[in-house]
Amino acid sequence: MDINEIVIISGKGGTGKTTLVSSMVPFLKDVVIADCDVDAPDLNILFGNEIREEEDFVGLQRAQINDDMCMKCGQCYDKCKFDAISEDIVLDTGKCEGCGVCEYVCPVNAIEMKDFVIGKIFVSDTKYGDMVHARLIPGEEASGKLVAQVRKKAKEIAILKGAKNIIIDGSPGIACNVISSVTGVNQVIIVIEPTLSGLHDLKKVHEMVKRFRLSEYIVINKYDMSKVELQKIEDYCEKEKLKIILKIPFNKKLVEAITKKTIPSLYDSEFFKDIGFEKFLLSLK
Amino acid sequence: MKIVVLSGKGGTGKTTISTNLAINTKNAILIDTDVEEPNSHIFMKPEIEDTISVTKDYPKVDIEKCTLCGKCGEFCRYNAILPAKNKVLIFKEICHDCGGCQLVCPTGAIKYEKREIGNIYCGTSKYGVKMKYGDLNVGEVSGVKIIENLKELVENEELVIIDAPPGTSCSTVAAVEGADYAVIVSEPTPFGVSDMKMVVEMLRNMNIDFGVIVNKAGLGDDEIYEYCDEENIEILQQIPFDLEIAKLYASGSILSHEIENYREKFELILNKIKK
Repeated sequence: MDINEIVIISGKGGTGKTTLVSSMVPFLKDVVIADCDVDAPDLNILFGNEIREEEDFVGLQRAQINDDMCMKCGQCYDKCKFDAISEDIVLDTGKCEGCGVCEYVCPVNAIEMKDFVIGKIFVSDTKYGDMVHARLIPGEEASGKLVAQVRKKAKEIAILKGAKNIIIDGSPGIACNVISSVTGVNQVIIVIEPTLSGLHDLKKVHEMVKRFRLSEYIVINKYDMSKVELQKIEDYCEKEKLKIILKIPFNKKLVEAITKKTIPSLYDSEFFKDIGFEKFLLSLK
Repeated sequence: MKIVVLSGKGGTGKTTISTNLAINTKNAILIDTDVEEPNSHIFMKPEIEDTISVTKDYPKVDIEKCTLCGKCGEFCRYNAILPAKNKVLIFKEICHDCGGCQLVCPTGAIKYEKREIGNIYCGTSKYGVKMKYGDLNVGEVSGVKIIENLKELVENEELVIIDAPPGTSCSTVAAVEGADYAVIVSEPTPFGVSDMKMVVEMLRNMNIDFGVIVNKAGLGDDEIYEYCDEENIEILQQIPFDLEIAKLYASGSILSHEIENYREKFELILNKIKK
């Protein structure tokens, strides 16, 4: 059975990814939710936090130096390209990228690579289906791997329960965690705002998505904020053959919904009817 | 002094605060370390005087010397080098440049070559302030090296304002590392507060002093004030939610340059920080 995976990303942060994702969920039947914004996860705030499963995520291995065996020859210090080992052979865990070079060069086997937990993965029950979410330990790398694991878990649940859709809340930017949230999905929605920086960021994230040859759509949030910038974005989308499938005007009630920890599309259902939300959802099928 | 501006949640106003602080401070230099999506230059409108290419090494296999023994592939923990039937495949983007494959190669068949992962642009803003920003090439997985290079370039400057990337992952840590003070820009919504909590945890682990600017004040609720109160976090300043400000932002203008009384607000923030 084919599962339809939809990811919502933005390039620039704070344009309304989570507002859009949460608003779509109640209308998507048979859905599994995956919050892949692992260093700023927020969907659980709106969907409640009834955690059913919880597991540690080992993202990489890191060096561990056995001081009793170490004879301070300095070969590991010499060879480490990440400045993770000091001259007096003390490991800076945060800088270790787990390559294993130090373990290899150590003549007395005083260094061992050990599993390292970089975050946690949760599965929660929500009214609309299962939600997989995660939390990266602040400062950790390998967030791309954590995103991949969240998606893998969501897919397993979708197969098990016969869910037709997986909706993925992505993170801002264009690097590993975003690439990891886009790889292999069916549809990508980019949410942007009509600002100069919004257009600049759209160009970069679109260049990234283009490499994957996926169905790519644009949603413009707060589109009435600037006519001039809106025009520039529409021109760019036309040139790049990017389909704008939804335009949302500024509405203070959407923020109100978030502060009340409710889903915006349910809090102000009239508004969503008026902006053609149903038609937007149909166009994703 | 190095002041880093960060937020956890995206779009709360890091760039707004960074650029406004920069143009209202004597001898400040601004660096934009949000190399995935840099925006400061859109507001600062610098004339670029210098462009520095940032490179990383990646392995190149001399197939004449290679015996396809497979040791490099076995060693690489990132799956960036993969010996196949009659050649060795290299995945440049995921290579961490650790040097391991060269080390284990018994025939010395591996050399390193450089490839560009992005650029650093240096210039002077139309507001007279010096600035530098990094720009990661599309398709690259990590901008940490560009961030580190940016910071090395301003090592000896008197006052550096650092516009950080959102989130709390490795690139944010790279931007924050070595800062004397951190300004968290948050908004009064449950999302703003939740993401800010992760930043607070990170800064406390790193032993960096910090304060908060509440942006878009009046738009949401009071949770942020209660949280700051409980945690004893100083609120440095508030910027009200105002559609006029949003429109200035949309067009790439700098708030305190357009509206006089905001200049004072930003000067006040700096005075508080310097204490």
